Amino acid sequence: MHEELFNKIVDMDEEGSIKLAKEYLDGGGDAQKLLNVCRDAMGVIGDKFEKGEYFLSELLLGGEIFSSIMEFTLPLLKEGDIAKLGKIVLGTVKDDIHNIGKDIFKAFVEAAGFEVVDIGVDVPEEKFVEAVKEHKPDIVGMSCLITAGISSMKNTVEALKEAGLKDFKIIIGGGRVDEEVKELAGADAWADDAARGVRLCKELLGVEG
Amino acid sequence: MDMTTKNPQELAKERRARLQAAINLEEPDRVPFCGVGGDIIPAYAGITQKEFNFDYDKAEKALEKFLKDFPCDWPFAAGVTGLDGRILSVAFAEYPDLALSSTFVSGPMHKTLGDKYYRFPGMETDENASPQFLGGTFMEPDEYDDLIEDPVGFVLETILPRACTNLDTPRQAMTTMVRLGMDFSQFYASAAKVGMASAQLGYPSLAIGGAYAPLDIIGDFLRGISNTVLDLRRYPDKVKKATEALTEVIIKYALAFKAIGAELAFIPLHLNEYLSPKLYKEFYWPTLKEVILTLLDEGIKSLVFFEGHHEPHLETILELPKGWGIAYFEKTDVVKAKEILKDHSCVMGGLPITLLVGGTPASIDEYIKNLFEKVKPGGGFILAPSVGTAPRETPLENLTALIEAVEKYG
Ligand code: B12
Repeated sequence: MHEELFNKIVDMDEEGSIKLAKEYLDGGGDAQKLLNVCRDAMGVIGDKFEKGEYFLSELLLGGEIFSSIMEFTLPLLKEGDIAKLGKIVLGTVKDDIHNIGKDIFKAFVEAAGFEVVDIGVDVPEEKFVEAVKEHKPDIVGMSCLITAGISSMKNTVEALKEAGLKDFKIIIGGGRVDEEVKELAGADAWADDAARGVRLCKELLGVEG
Repeated sequence: MDMTTKNPQELAKERRARLQAAINLEEPDRVPFCGVGGDIIPAYAGITQKEFNFDYDKAEKALEKFLKDFPCDWPFAAGVTGLDGRILSVAFAEYPDLALSSTFVSGPMHKTLGDKYYRFPGMETDENASPQFLGGTFMEPDEYDDLIEDPVGFVLETILPRACTNLDTPRQAMTTMVRLGMDFSQFYASAAKVGMASAQLGYPSLAIGGAYAPLDIIGDFLRGISNTVLDLRRYPDKVKKATEALTEVIIKYALAFKAIGAELAFIPLHLNEYLSPKLYKEFYWPTLKEVILTLLDEGIKSLVFFEGHHEPHLETILELPKGWGIAYFEKTDVVKAKEILKDHSCVMGGLPITLLVGGTPASIDEYIKNLFEKVKPGGGFILAPSVGTAPRETPLENLTALIEAVEKYG
């Protein structure tokens, strides 16, 4: 089953892979093993994207397949069973409503073993501050696709500082960020693709990829 | 851009010749420069975004002030403000005079329609936020057949009432449509005033129409972006038929602009970056290409804004006849694009908006110098910001440095 499911996911067979995963669990299969297969498949989809073999259309569908399978797989797992690399508070910054990139990154970084607290889009600084206070993440992720969002990121970083919050890294992502924007916003890392973002999150926390 | 020695007519003629040369794939006297617009315009005039969007008088003055103080060859991004209203263009495609008026949805039009596509400052968002297009899902997958059968009827009778709260009942719909007509008139009266003021400032008049990639109508206004991408796998035949049905409608509304002597049709692309070359060639490009070719036959060149990264699909542009129009790039490296497209397409873009916001006069000067060394030879290039909307905190000295650098190295 494992190899077949792995291939079906990587080959973007949405119906086939969901059906197979369900059958596997119905037949008494191990949810933890299923999760691992899905994670591996997502890793390969990300690699293919970075190599230019896959495109956003595949990332989007891959994320969709992963979420669909997780919907019936995660409830079968006990909290403690799922090893977590770290926790990320993730949101699209104030004045920006683009959510697709954030959601794709979320699917891939979750698949890689991070726990994600998604606080939505058009998120004001105060809401980031509150979420960080409440969830004590290892990483704060900000998604930003519009130029007007640059100052939102900068303000958010400042608001976090002012609230005396530290002990976490800040990563920014989205189609319009670059080194210039990272410096301006005061973030620790930037990525304009999900696969690179996942790699950087691991690097920021010093965990093996 | 010496304003003191030349009269407006001379200046306009010079700028036009410069642009025309680039579009004709020739080398102009200097690299033409397409300026910025966006939040910086109301900010510079000291008015709010709400005022800029709802008070035509103030907006006109703000535009004039900006165009005067930050000259360029082509103020493409600095006009009367509104958001993409192409769903209305589809709805009114059968009536050229209306199709012509519906490219943009302005603040007042949004207020009249009560639609769920947009958010405007002082209404759904802060008085100083820029107007926002949200898009959304207003059509279910089992409705593709209705769309294919009669795109105009389906959009007008099914989609718009769903998307606009003020079209709920026939009674509401009638008043809403009357008001919308009045809004159209005001918007175009204001655009005409800005046009006159621009002419006074020595800007060439260049009538621009609009068209759209058929799949983007589905993504932006009907099914939503993510759903549309997923639909390509789930219902490929239906999506393809729907893009074909929409092609005819889009061409119809785009040709309405012949009445105002449009020389160019602006076509911003959205789903291009999402698609693999295989999906692009199957679902996106054939119908877009048909739109571009048909307009060209009718004497309208296209100004296609290839948003995001278009590298994987660059070669397809070569399928168009030489001199078909302008390829405006956002994140695609214009130096590489020009190598591939030289002597075939006029290339536009090259200035990352992040540099304008985060850079310094010195770094901008340096950047333009290096860029022009590579893209100036041979002509056929127009310098433009990667994104036309400069945020309010764009340092003014950077804008001035940019203008000077263009003059110096262009
Ligand atoms: C789809 C789209 C939309 C859709 C959004 C649908 C949605 N719900 O998200 C719609 C049509 C609604 C829309 C609306 C608008 N848009 Co828009 N949109 C786009 C478009 C075409 C694609 C964006 C996208 O989804 N890309 C695909 C995703 C998957 O890529 P991504 O976000 O970069 O994400 C990837 C990585 O960056 C990374 N990632 C993402 N987030 C994060 C976060 C972290 C922490 C990490 C590590 C990684 C990461 O992972 C993803 C996968 O690799 C772009 C142009 C383009 N091609 O890029 C314009 C674009 C982003 N939009 C733009 C604009 C201006 C707008 C509007 C403001 C227009 C308007 N005036 O109303 C409105 C938005 C209102 C607002 N205030 O936000 C501009 C932004 C210009 C600028 N620099 O300011 C662009 C660039 C278009 C343009 N060239 O003018 N848009």
